[in-house]
Amino acid sequence: MDAVAQFFQTFPYDQLLIQTVNGIVTGMILALVASGLTLIFGIMDVVNFAHGELFMLGAYVGVIVMVGTGSFWLALFIATLTVALIGAALQVVTLRPLIGRDPLNTILVTFGISLILQNYALWQFGPTSRKINEPITSHFILFYLEYPWYRILIAALSAVIIGGFWLFLKYSKFGVWIRATTQDRVMAQAMGIPVPLVYTGVFAIGAGMAAASGVLFAPLVGVNHTMGLDWVLKAFIVVVVGGMGNLGGSIAAAIFVSLLESYASIWVNPSQAVIVSFVVLILTLLFRPTGLFVPTPK
Amino acid sequence: MAEKWKDEEWAKDFWYSGKVTRRRLVGWGAGAIGAAMLVPAPWRAAFGAAKAFKIGSEQPLSGAAALGGKTAIVGLQMAVDRINKNGGINGRPVELVISDDESKPDVARRKTLKMVEEDQIDVHVGGFLSNICLACMPVWEEAKIVNMISVCLDTTLTTTKCNRYSFRVHDYAPAQAVAFGPVLNKMGKKWHIAFADYSWGQSTRDAYADEIRKGGGEVVGTTGIPLGTADMTPFLSKIQGDFDGLFGIFFGKDGITIGNQAFDLGLTKKYKWAGDGAIAEPINLPALGNKIEGFVGINRYIPVFEGPFDTTHHRKFFDDAKARLAKIDPTGPLPDRYVQSNFEAMNALKVGMEKSKFEGRKDTMKLIESLEGLEMKLSDDFFTGDKVLRKEDHQAFPLEVIFEIKGGKHRITETIPGAKTIFPPACKFSAA
Repeated sequence: MDAVAQFFQTFPYDQLLIQTVNGIVTGMILALVASGLTLIFGIMDVVNFAHGELFMLGAYVGVIVMVGTGSFWLALFIATLTVALIGAALQVVTLRPLIGRDPLNTILVTFGISLILQNYALWQFGPTSRKINEPITSHFILFYLEYPWYRILIAALSAVIIGGFWLFLKYSKFGVWIRATTQDRVMAQAMGIPVPLVYTGVFAIGAGMAAASGVLFAPLVGVNHTMGLDWVLKAFIVVVVGGMGNLGGSIAAAIFVSLLESYASIWVNPSQAVIVSFVVLILTLLFRPTGLFVPTPK
Repeated sequence: MAEKWKDEEWAKDFWYSGKVTRRRLVGWGAGAIGAAMLVPAPWRAAFGAAKAFKIGSEQPLSGAAALGGKTAIVGLQMAVDRINKNGGINGRPVELVISDDESKPDVARRKTLKMVEEDQIDVHVGGFLSNICLACMPVWEEAKIVNMISVCLDTTLTTTKCNRYSFRVHDYAPAQAVAFGPVLNKMGKKWHIAFADYSWGQSTRDAYADEIRKGGGEVVGTTGIPLGTADMTPFLSKIQGDFDGLFGIFFGKDGITIGNQAFDLGLTKKYKWAGDGAIAEPINLPALGNKIEGFVGINRYIPVFEGPFDTTHHRKFFDDAKARLAKIDPTGPLPDRYVQSNFEAMNALKVGMEKSKFEGRKDTMKLIESLEGLEMKLSDDFFTGDKVLRKEDHQAFPLEVIFEIKGGKHRITETIPGAKTIFPPACKFSAA
């Protein structure tokens, strides 16, 4: 009993709260990145290796708009729209001709696109990293830290974007088409839903979500041609843990994995805490390959 | 009469049997010309004038370190262009064989072997990430090719893992720590070190920790952050306690991340903020904005015309580098230490090759002997000043500059001559 009492007495409650906030913020960014990825996979069966580069491209478009207008919000909106259009064009030109072919083809194509976009950004923008200024610079005191309000704003905006997308799926005509295509694409086509258009739309939405997260995250790290790589690996883990193609599952998994990592980092080095996500991934693949947040198939 | 030889017995078989036709003659002729073009004629090697020296260079042109690799290449190309413009080395032009290591040690090792075996390079100058330099050092040793390190800073490259074939004409962490230690101890007695958790970061952390302790200071904690970590907040939010200064050892985009996120969490306002100059390289400054104000760093080169850098030699380098950087980057960044050290490394190699009358790999030992103890004097080749390539460990000790970021620009606060940063050699070459 003494040991338990001592544990609670020495428990770093300040760290617990700080890491909870960190976990939720990181989880929400990850959820935004992962929802685009899982959406594309769920509808199109395409594992999009270029998702990180669409994230990066969004940030670069954001930089251009910021330089021109000085408005973060305009940068966020225009970058999302522009990259969504680029995504639609990419889908029509490179992925649509591959419909019905071996999934390996689409993996190779998206991997190729990622290399092209990365090297294009380096060639076009050069090695100097760019900056997007955050719209708010104030902070609040969180124990011994000055915690920036902007990080909280990122989490809130991510939630708003994901929430907006959920409403779009639930109530809009195109959203109904997307859900129908996810459930049974052959039947959807038979019912007159323009499946190729749904595919293009979904890829555009996924690209736009990646771009939005790129703009939101850019003030924290600077914009460079490899910035997407850091997030996309984690996003893939989240998508597998949450259930491939399961939007709600991916969001839950993003927050779950980020919180687990954050809590683990209270006791171990944060670089070792990253192992937690890989352990969760392996356990999921072993015991619930359909995903942690998907009902067990009967 | 003229055709009489055709009547000879030996010629009948050759000429009249239909074996030699005009078509065949033209075919053989074309074949012979082709073969002559492919196989270097013996006199070409003998005179050596037409054959270029093949200088291999491994650089990260993609992956995590690509930002630095792109500027590193600028310095190297500048030196090579200048050498070729001035008649080459020993009368022979220089040809660069650049290899993208993708910022990955396994890829780097594979491509190093390709440069050795397929490209048949004569010498190598390059290497950016320390873990890649470490991975490739044994290859150069085995192939008996001189390896002029141009960026890697890991201490062990010229100490415990040194070899006879590798040289470093720029600084390393122990010398930087000797130069920076007294300044850090003036800034505060208790330090927390945050470092890039790989070979360079770890060895640099150890060097600074030793020097801070020697000066009567204390390192109260260290935080290792893996290379390429996008969100450092989980790491940084654990840094707390009673200490005076936060010391950062990062480069490239990690330098930008720590600069931004340490500021956002209030760490750089609460504590003194110092570190390796790579955090505040010119290509990082735009992305750091005013969050890097007040940062105190150390570097072997910063693009300012103050003190020892206020020379015509520096001006020549600066103007050429700036024009070339503008071609690869529309923002027109100023040259950084990666441009500088690649430029000077190539020039050191040139001086060594000329001194040893180097002709190819067979002269590697002569080249090594000429590089050992090489004195580099302030000139267009070595615009950062005098330095010596120490024979015992192949390590040079250049001038060190302490600077502060004010108004978004570097300002020199102190300069420490290389001679005052000497650190005892700790290298034992294995028998060649």
